[in-house]
Amino acid sequence: MTNQTIQRVEGALRNPLVLVGVGAVLTVPAALVLVLAFPLYRGLLSDPFWFPLLVMAAVLFLILNATAVCILAERKIAGFTQDRYGPNRVGFWGLLQPVADGLKFLLKEDIIPRRVDKPLFLLAPCLALIVSLVGFAVIPWAGEVHWPWMEAGTTVSTQVARLDIGILYVIAVGSLGVYGLVLAGYASNNKYSFYGGLRATAQMISYELPLGLALLCVLLTTGTLRLEEIVNQQAHSGVWYVFVHPLAFLLIVICLFAETNRAPFDLPEAEQELVGGYHTEYSAMKFALFFLAEYAHMITGSAVAIALFLGGWAPLPFTSWLADNTAWWAMLLKFGVYLLKVALFIGVMMWVRWTIPRFRFDQLMRLAWRSLVPLGLLLMAAVAVLTLFGGQRVWWAGLGVNVLVLLGVLWWAARSKQPMTGRQEDLPPVEFGAM
Amino acid sequence: MPPPGTISAAEGGAELLLGLAIFALAAFLMAFVVLVAGKLLRTRVPHPDKAAAYECGEQPVGPGWVQFDLRFYVVALVFLIFDVEIALFYPWAVVYGGGSAPDATWELLRQVRWAALWDMLFFFAVIVVGFLYLWRFGYLDWVRTLPEESGGVPETTSASDRT
Repeated sequence: MTNQTIQRVEGALRNPLVLVGVGAVLTVPAALVLVLAFPLYRGLLSDPFWFPLLVMAAVLFLILNATAVCILAERKIAGFTQDRYGPNRVGFWGLLQPVADGLKFLLKEDIIPRRVDKPLFLLAPCLALIVSLVGFAVIPWAGEVHWPWMEAGTTVSTQVARLDIGILYVIAVGSLGVYGLVLAGYASNNKYSFYGGLRATAQMISYELPLGLALLCVLLTTGTLRLEEIVNQQAHSGVWYVFVHPLAFLLIVICLFAETNRAPFDLPEAEQELVGGYHTEYSAMKFALFFLAEYAHMITGSAVAIALFLGGWAPLPFTSWLADNTAWWAMLLKFGVYLLKVALFIGVMMWVRWTIPRFRFDQLMRLAWRSLVPLGLLLMAAVAVLTLFGGQRVWWAGLGVNVLVLLGVLWWAARSKQPMTGRQEDLPPVEFGAM
Repeated sequence: MPPPGTISAAEGGAELLLGLAIFALAAFLMAFVVLVAGKLLRTRVPHPDKAAAYECGEQPVGPGWVQFDLRFYVVALVFLIFDVEIALFYPWAVVYGGGSAPDATWELLRQVRWAALWDMLFFFAVIVVGFLYLWRFGYLDWVRTLPEESGGVPETTSASDRT
């Protein structure tokens, strides 16, 4: 293609009408096929085994696209925060930027440095992506659905695996995520990667403790580990657990930021100190897999936090609207509500990333071990005592306990002689070793 | 709806595992397909400088596998102990919080809960004592000074040595 043709194509893609047209050309035939083939897959839709798998395929597809959109959204939000445009060259309003990025990832040369540990070097990005995707299996996307052609009273679930140990599974798989980063850091045979991997390990395992403690508060209230049960309870009573355990929710949000290595906890890939951290040596598609993994991890994490605290697919707090409705339109609505909540949650994560500067490593460890872990322990004990009197689902009782704990912690922090900020002048002079 | 804690035949066992396995396989295929697609499409222009470890343009000195700070090891050790202890709380929390025995009277439930609470508070106290020990002896501090008896700050960091 000549330069002129390329310019003409670029110009055309910047026209919103052209984009809509291309979108229609791509989606209308697909939608037509779906409608025409409906009798073929109708049986699958009402099958308790295949329907969740179909949902899974849809969700995986959605998440791949959501990741691309997330990257564009991230850059647009960054631009908005810093009073600049963000990507606006590829397509109208930069909308085709994810497509261009994807093409670039596919076409760039993949460099494997000479002295890396090759099998591990290849395994690390795959592992990171796989474990962050596998967590999706237990998310109760839209509860139960009853198709019009099914027998009365029977429903199929939109959840791939209705595991008895739902939350435990999520934690277990989420903790495996650290292996991807550690292996990447180790296999690269590069000092920056190595330090990045080390930091990632220390950070992720440190923040897993308060995460586990905060989850315990919810478990004491729900009495079950099944995510679909927990969402059902919230949808029926209308009391979302964020109203009962606001402090636990705060803990979970902080830990989620740290577990996904997002700013202000992005020390494993701190550009100014470690070049790229654990993915310094990665290029092309392997690098893209790390990106995918990070965003997939964010989506899983926020979906779990929403299921636990923000009512899952329940559209409104303090009502039980839609809770028992299993019609197909209600299912679609619930699905939409869930995705909207996830999108909002991720929006907040991006907003935070571009607002708050990065922690120093000693501040990070201090926050985890000397603030969040004691707070988590205290909260758990308080909720356990509350449960003894049967008040664990009364929202004002939970809120009261939270206020008491918060006041106690604030009182203690105010009277402690050591400031909790850990500012530089409070520290003894040290020679900076490798952190 | 079965009570929490039971696995009904329809959703337990093989079918559940199969679903999970298919899901994991799909995730694996996703990674595999994009890597293979990249392999088929991309250019390849090797050069010895490209294959060097990236250290901002400098020649790398020695391997990347350097000795790391002992503090990382301590963090991992402390985490391991605490995480196992917290994992032991989970079954307790589910049963204690649920209290869902259908024919239990309020009085019985209360008695069981008191017993469970005392048991757990004892276990909890053990954790807290361990935590306070770590706190007191500075294992939770990242930037650390040596204990009092060896003369305050470590030698390498005292200002007088730098003159």
